[in-house]
Amino acid sequence: MAKNKVSFKLKSNLSQLDALCQNLEKFGQSLGLSKKCIFEANLALDELFTNIISYGFDDKNEHTIKITISLRNDELVFNIEDDGIPFNPTKVETPDLECTIEECRIGGLGIHLAKNLMDAVCYQRCKDKNILTLKKKIKEARPQKKKVKG
Amino acid sequence: MEIIEESQSGINIYRLNGRLDSNTSQGFEKKIFQAIDDGSKSMIIDFKNLDYISSAGLRVILKATKALKREDGAIMLCDMQDYVKEVFEIAGFDSFLPIVGTMDDALNAF
Repeated sequence: MAKNKVSFKLKSNLSQLDALCQNLEKFGQSLGLSKKCIFEANLALDELFTNIISYGFDDKNEHTIKITISLRNDELVFNIEDDGIPFNPTKVETPDLECTIEECRIGGLGIHLAKNLMDAVCYQRCKDKNILTLKKKIKEARPQKKKVKG
Repeated sequence: MEIIEESQSGINIYRLNGRLDSNTSQGFEKKIFQAIDDGSKSMIIDFKNLDYISSAGLRVILKATKALKREDGAIMLCDMQDYVKEVFEIAGFDSFLPIVGTMDDALNAF
């Protein structure tokens, strides 16, 4: 049976987006998740990861961002942990989506996408670390367990 | 990401292949803005083989659309996979960006 938990570390560099994608695809495919589900999870994690790298560190040192993904019942749970400055993306204002092209601003859009693609996004500051927990319900059928309870 | 460029009746066509994210969006932005600087006013972006787009990609498309509008030009986006289109919809960009079904629709719009 496929493992229902994976954990990996990314360096604070945008080039790590490829590693994020590869890890996610490998895990998602092992669970039989749809392409759409993997895409949406990838996008949400990408936006939050990119945000951490762009605004999360006030020094030039290399940092590590730890990502854990697990499947609990029919819910994917993502954990993103970094040692950057305190930042709560859930408090970022949603951009005005009713605007015209002239008024349209891109700020906050990544976080808006992440929030929309997930069922829940929670932030905690704990021991000098930012911890984001994202949850996404999956709808598609996964490989069935052979043993049936009851 | 691979970008295949071609020109048809004065329209610059960009066929995107792969992933348009924070890593690859800068190269794409450079290409588009070089063309705008060189006088290009009509563009089509073909999303058929684009597997992924993030807000960094949306930003380039928005910036290019605004720049072309200022020059009295136009941009058309075509052939998006459903989940790529969904990103434009969640962002609210589908209300002001011309997204059409096929390359023919895009060519006919000029």
